[in-house]
Amino acid sequence: MERMVLPGEEVWKREVQASGTYVRGGITYASVPGMMRDEKFIPLEMAYRPKVGDNVVGVVVDERHAGYMVDLNLPYNGVIPTRKVRIHLELGGMVYGKITFVDEVGNVDIGEVDKLPAGKLLSVPASKVPRIIGKKSSMLNQIREMSGCPVFVGNNGYVWIGPRGNMHLVAKTLRLIIERAHTSGLTDQVAKYLDENR
Amino acid sequence: METPELFKDGKRLDGRALDELRPIRIIAGVLKEAEGSAFVEWGGNKVICGIYGPRECIPKHGASPYTALLKCRYTMSPFASLEEHGRTGPNRRSTEISKVIREAFGGVVMSGEFPKTQIDIYVDVLQAEGGTRIAAIAAATVALANAGIPMKDMISGVAVGKAGGQLVVDLGKAEDNYGESDMPIAFTHRDKEIVFLQMDGKLTPEELGNCIDSAMEASEKVYALQSEALRKSYEAEGGQELDI
Repeated sequence: MERMVLPGEEVWKREVQASGTYVRGGITYASVPGMMRDEKFIPLEMAYRPKVGDNVVGVVVDERHAGYMVDLNLPYNGVIPTRKVRIHLELGGMVYGKITFVDEVGNVDIGEVDKLPAGKLLSVPASKVPRIIGKKSSMLNQIREMSGCPVFVGNNGYVWIGPRGNMHLVAKTLRLIIERAHTSGLTDQVAKYLDENR
Repeated sequence: METPELFKDGKRLDGRALDELRPIRIIAGVLKEAEGSAFVEWGGNKVICGIYGPRECIPKHGASPYTALLKCRYTMSPFASLEEHGRTGPNRRSTEISKVIREAFGGVVMSGEFPKTQIDIYVDVLQAEGGTRIAAIAAATVALANAGIPMKDMISGVAVGKAGGQLVVDLGKAEDNYGESDMPIAFTHRDKEIVFLQMDGKLTPEELGNCIDSAMEASEKVYALQSEALRKSYEAEGGQELDI
């Protein structure tokens, strides 16, 4: 059963640690608009907070002695520390990496960095990223396959689309997913859309 | 100044009953570039609100390592009304309203989750007919939820007061200008905590109690419209249509 929950409404009658919720007096309440599906709370809108282990797509914006500064669609730039990552990057280049460290004020270190060739960078709401990726990347693989584009999605809400295949189709499909992120059977809807528009 | 007749045949100037709200229309997600947004039409009031952030705090020395700064800017358009409200830019009145709106949300927005950043609430009044600060709060709540800024609770409010010797809910322009007392008040939805209360004029302690009771009742109706607006924002595809 599905039901929409707004900030301040009760989610569970017990204490549960879940994103988009908070606990007071032994009861868990929602802090952002979300959807209850099979007793699970799915936030529909949520400002992104970086976590260790998140995959991110970013743009190199500055080079310093300590490392490269990377725009991650966050209030502050992330850092690729030279101390740990031996890689040469160009300013304006795009990278794919993993968050290795987040301090208490939200400064981010990035490791396991791969360079991405020049492509198209799109910004999507970070709360919709799980739907864009899908269960075991099902949605993403489907998009990659049908469009012929290499696509990388960061949890931070940046999407890199490689310079091959039907890039426009990818962008249009992403828009569709964002608009219908709260509906069920989305993978099938998208399959149909891709099929009709390829 | 001569006070005009505020009641006619037991009804208010615009034909409302004493505890009746003006027609309210709320639309969530009307701005493309803002993180969250809302448009509220409340009688003759038209208010648009955009939320930006959490983003880099400017000036940087104002940033807190513990929490996000909540900032609010309420302004009235030069064409909002015919009177001296219509001067553009921040003035004494709008600075005060910005402050009280910020403080109303200070208690519910979970700003501790976003240290060193700022969250901006921009409210612009396009058209004014009395009760814009309450309309601004209604818009800001919906816009904050639409932006996915974590909040402990939603806020809804209404202006109550005394006009022509009677306690009335949701004062219009004439009742606000010529009435005895005007008290905008806002509550959190679940716990009914008062997060915002101002008063012009005088009320006796009993009248005050009655006013708060009727405000609580009326703000429930406002909340119902706010939550409906948020629900609706997921039904419309390709963004919400704004028909001003």
